[in-house]
Amino acid sequence: MRTAALRGATLAPEQSGTGAAPDTVDARRAAAGDQAAFERLYNGHVARVHSLARRMVGPEEADEVTQDVFVRAWQKLGTFKGQAAFGTWLHRVAVNVMLGRRAELAKRRGRTSEGDGLVESLPSRRSHIELHMDFETAIGRLPAGAREVFVLHDVQGFKHQEIAEMLGVSTGTTKAQLHRARMALRRYVDR
Amino acid sequence: MSDAWTGRLSEYLDAELSGEDRNQLERHLEGCPECRLTLEELRQVAQRAAALEDSLPAENLWPGIAERLGAEAPAEAGVVDLGRQRTARRRVSLTLPQLAAAGVAVMLLSAGGAWLALSQSGALGGATAAVPVSAVSGAEAIAVATADYDAAVAELQDILTERRGELDTVTVRILEENLAVIDEAIAEAQAALQDDPTNSYLSAHLAAAMWRKVHLLRRAAVIASATG
Repeated sequence: MRTAALRGATLAPEQSGTGAAPDTVDARRAAAGDQAAFERLYNGHVARVHSLARRMVGPEEADEVTQDVFVRAWQKLGTFKGQAAFGTWLHRVAVNVMLGRRAELAKRRGRTSEGDGLVESLPSRRSHIELHMDFETAIGRLPAGAREVFVLHDVQGFKHQEIAEMLGVSTGTTKAQLHRARMALRRYVDR
Repeated sequence: MSDAWTGRLSEYLDAELSGEDRNQLERHLEGCPECRLTLEELRQVAQRAAALEDSLPAENLWPGIAERLGAEAPAEAGVVDLGRQRTARRRVSLTLPQLAAAGVAVMLLSAGGAWLALSQSGALGGATAAVPVSAVSGAEAIAVATADYDAAVAELQDILTERRGELDTVTVRILEENLAVIDEAIAEAQAALQDDPTNSYLSAHLAAAMWRKVHLLRRAAVIASATG
């Protein structure tokens, strides 16, 4: 399964033949209170949501945040109209939940929302751990702002304008953060 | 390693430079091997990111989610009939505006605002009929729905008080412990919301705790009815 499925999900409507796609049917059933239908949606999308959570908020909180996402989606199912793919809609819900949790999670970790930014340390100061860090781990060590923009843009496929609106910053800022993240991740690309 | 164009390489890679800037950068790239190398590295990072694969969580998270959703869906929570087995007892039929209204209160809180929730939702169904959108403010709608939630909780607690003797002591102890934990969570969330009324996380947390309480009380009432 490919993570950067937002582009694909956006371009490929969940329609097959003359009927609605299984996800859309299940979403309608779930909106009417059918938990079994919602569980099928969970099974189909949990890997994507959990992977996003791992990259956005870190592996420690990924389980909890993933649960929050699906509870939130259940509460908001009435707003899903089937115009976009369910996966795209769920993805928006997930991103909103994760961005909404930023301040709380940063406080819980006892650090600022800008993160600890280990990846951006100068090469001469790099730790033994950092030298052996893989690409996914390195993403998690980016400063929070750069990490969020990088995950949303390069992994999830959102555009700068969308990211800027979600984060409440300018596109100039998101472009600068993306470049900062990419520059920092160059040395981890083969790991 | 870094020159005036280095900071624009990601924009170039993403085809976001204007025509003139792009032309200038391309001319610069022809004579700058370092920028060409950096551009290639940035391209590899973007490609690597796009190729990352999803993976399942180590544990199945569904049971925890299902527990938070409640044993029955909110839309199906309109009637709880616990009076069939014991006609001598009070017949309990909780309909709107009680249990459904409890769900409404939860939805209003979790949506972060009554106006938004009410205006968006066909899912609220008949429960919204008692709360005309145009007639009340968001705060008033929450107050109305919360009052109905309180009434539903009070009703269920009355049932449990009445049938407490039909539950074994271990069940009663676990029930009371869990209710105490939930009540504490509700009180903490309410206190925190007083300081930060627009905090959507706190609203969602409060809503989840309120729903857990209704769900727990309902389950206990059903168990008491079945064993009585």
